[in-house]
Amino acid sequence: MSDNAATPRTEIDSSVFNPFSPEFVREPQDTWQRMLRDYPIAWHRELQMWVVNTHELCSAILKNNVFTPNFRMWEHAPPEKPEAEKNDFDKAFDHSLFTVSQKQHLKLRKLTMPAFSKPVMGRIYGKIEDLVTECFDDIGDAEEFDVYDAIANKLPVRAIARMVGVPTDREAFFHDFAVNLIMATRPNLSPKQRDAAIEGTLPGFAFFRELIDERRARDEPGDDFLGSLVGASEDGESLDDYDILAVIFALIAAGSDTATDLHTYAIKGLLEHPDQMQKLRDNPDLMENAIIELLRHGSMGKLPFFRFASEDVDFGGERIGKGQCILVNLSAAWHDPARYPDWDKLDIERRLDGNLVFGAGAHFCIGTYLVRVQGGLMISEFLKRFPDAELANGDGDIDYDYAHHNARRINRLHVRTHQNAARRAA
Amino acid sequence: MQQWICVICGFIYDEAEGMPDHGIAPGTRFEDLPEDWTCPECGSPKSAFEPFVG
Repeated sequence: MSDNAATPRTEIDSSVFNPFSPEFVREPQDTWQRMLRDYPIAWHRELQMWVVNTHELCSAILKNNVFTPNFRMWEHAPPEKPEAEKNDFDKAFDHSLFTVSQKQHLKLRKLTMPAFSKPVMGRIYGKIEDLVTECFDDIGDAEEFDVYDAIANKLPVRAIARMVGVPTDREAFFHDFAVNLIMATRPNLSPKQRDAAIEGTLPGFAFFRELIDERRARDEPGDDFLGSLVGASEDGESLDDYDILAVIFALIAAGSDTATDLHTYAIKGLLEHPDQMQKLRDNPDLMENAIIELLRHGSMGKLPFFRFASEDVDFGGERIGKGQCILVNLSAAWHDPARYPDWDKLDIERRLDGNLVFGAGAHFCIGTYLVRVQGGLMISEFLKRFPDAELANGDGDIDYDYAHHNARRINRLHVRTHQNAARRAA
Repeated sequence: MQQWICVICGFIYDEAEGMPDHGIAPGTRFEDLPEDWTCPECGSPKSAFEPFVG
């Protein structure tokens, strides 16, 4: 037991927070507000993890290196395999941004920064612009379309695939790799599910090892993302295959499946707030702020981030034991009235300093600018092509993938474009 | 005057511009920022910054 002997720990159960219930997925606000008010931090008896809810505590935990994202620190993590039995997943995981020392982590971030930082947003724009145009060309002048099928389920994984050099005809294969990679270390899945996911990643790792071998065989590895990693050196050291696979691992985890929700929630948020949509049309310079605010307002996470205590620690008035899992409930934090008194208002001009939308601290989202560029391109194109759009039947016939492992995943959102009426008027 | 980049998130601190919205006057050198100053984008400490040549 890790309880402080003098003060019993605060505990909750599924009657307070059941992230798997359809009611919660559809309408999470009451649950989040109750937890923010009554349970800033509490041990969840059924989930067997701490749940941290307030903006202040979530921010503190993300910036405190005692709390690591290294899944192997979890008290219930499967034992590490002997070196000889490790497969490509295990080896890449050993080298991953979530696993390595702080010094090595900083080194990997420095080496990847030139490909993914704010100064190169223009270059990212050029790389993926055609993918966005293609999605909208496929929609054409349809009177109605599904945002999930037409955009959200296609664009993020294609964009990441493009960034890491996957040919277009291997995108479905890459998509499976990405989903399995994310599921392979989720504490909320069973060991059997995690093992199946790990198996599912192996063909993807083999594919990338071949790509890396091919680059190493060239006189010059190339100046694209993969080439820059193969050719990178820092203090006389270069990256080995598993360092490179680990960086790809991080990008996929950060920017593919998670970015799916950006597109559905962004369009939903804008169509539900025509005044904000008009403001964005009138002032496209607000785009980056609008994307962050749309993500904050939509709050699409079901089980957003996990951390694991690397030592016994007193935090938020509770005693957290070494190895215990902590759910960093950013979805609630983004709606914390102590931080955002008008949390339920969408305001694309909101001052968002210190927001946690892309996390905080050493593991701040590596794909943040890729996501911002991708979201900005999509929204701009949407506003341009469908000026009269509205949610079909009032709510877009919205539906959710209730079984999704970490997101309040919208998997149906119908938009009526009114293209026919526009054509007739013209 | 120099620019500094946060290697975690890519935020750039430009000494010439400072951050007037945050009470940092134009012309404030990076080394003169308080030791407990953190990146306004990701919250990383000063040690996560390095000189940036755009």
